[in-house]
Amino acid sequence: MFDRDDEMIEAVARELRRPVRLGDGVTAEVMRRVRSEGRGTRAGARASHLVGRIAHWAVRPRTVRVSPLAGVAALAAAVLLMVLGLRAERPAPLTVAAARGEVPTIVPVSDTPSLSSDLVPRPSLVPRPSLVQFVLVAPTARQVSLVGDFNDWDVGSAPLRAVPAGGVWTIEVPLAPGRHRYAFVVDGRQWLPDPAAPPAGGDDFGTPSSVVTVVEQGA
Amino acid sequence: MSASVKTTRRLLGALAALLALGAGRAGAQAPRPAAERLAGRLDAGTRAQVLTLVDSAGREGLPVEPLVDKALEGASKGAPGPRIVLALRTLAGELGAAREALGRTASDPEVAAAAGALHIGVSGEELAELQKARGRQPITVALGVLSDLVARGVPADSATAAVLTLTEASVDDDELVEFRRSVERDIALGAPPAAAASVRMNAFAPATLSDGLEQGARAGNTRPRRP
Repeated sequence: MFDRDDEMIEAVARELRRPVRLGDGVTAEVMRRVRSEGRGTRAGARASHLVGRIAHWAVRPRTVRVSPLAGVAALAAAVLLMVLGLRAERPAPLTVAAARGEVPTIVPVSDTPSLSSDLVPRPSLVPRPSLVQFVLVAPTARQVSLVGDFNDWDVGSAPLRAVPAGGVWTIEVPLAPGRHRYAFVVDGRQWLPDPAAPPAGGDDFGTPSSVVTVVEQGA
Repeated sequence: MSASVKTTRRLLGALAALLALGAGRAGAQAPRPAAERLAGRLDAGTRAQVLTLVDSAGREGLPVEPLVDKALEGASKGAPGPRIVLALRTLAGELGAAREALGRTASDPEVAAAAGALHIGVSGEELAELQKARGRQPITVALGVLSDLVARGVPADSATAAVLTLTEASVDDDELVEFRRSVERDIALGAPPAAAASVRMNAFAPATLSDGLEQGARAGNTRPRRP
């Protein structure tokens, strides 16, 4: 009984021990996949380890020692960058030019009431200057300047440039929203209000001025 | 000296240079003090009186920029010192009255514009009424339009009534400026100033006053409006 069973078991075992013949490509494919997974796992483990170290470095409290001078310098650099950034948004400075002419004769040009009222800028949280064009016809003038509360009434700070023909003088000036008083100075001595703009009124010094109203953006 | 110390010193030197540059640039755009702006523009005696007036106005919470501007305008126009000081005293009084009429919450530009309106004959009560009609909106442009109309010859009471009526009808600043332009055109064409203001205000009425009246009626506002 035992002998017969042993023989049967031995026969089954012999059959099971016999190597299974697979195709030639199977072994190669299995080994390729094993190597591939091994590499992926090692890379993942390295990445995970790196993230952990960074996180640990980031959250670990530490003492930073900075001298007062270095701290002030760093703060100043930050303020400087902010200031430079704000300045980058400012409009271009006045355009100025010299011109030639003769004795001034002033006449209104174009629809110049629009000097003050065509300014209808668009909304903005921070009021921004708007470019305003000032025009004067003075065929005989040698030079014309714009003076007003926007340039400290300084005769030399905003000369108008002469348009090649017609005795037209012009300048564009960035103005903040509000009501501005101004006048033209012809040849450095003759003060003239803008003939096409509203008079300022309240001329305490005997020389009339004009007003330009710049509407705030979004108003 | 170690390399790290040298590097730190170089870094601090560069930052200091940047700081100096930044201070120069920032100073170029910051408003200059009154004393500096007036230097060389007025004789010493007049300048001292002007600065005293400016300081006093500042302590009272009044805008000082209009005072400095007025002094510079007088200086550029070659006005004698006493005349400049007198003009500043008058303006300071008007700024104070404007602040009183509009209250402490009014902005400096509003106070300056209101002072200009007072100068041409608008009353403090009318300023307060205009401010109330305007609600939370600034009244700077409305006051500017009012002053412009008066300067063009529209009687102060007519101009005030027109601007107040349009303001109560919720017209915005652009429309107020357009209204002023229309009146100016009519005056330039020969229309009497008061009539031009009245006609143009009525011309604005269908589009603006009727809307404003309807809005007022919807809100239960039965307060009579000015003609």
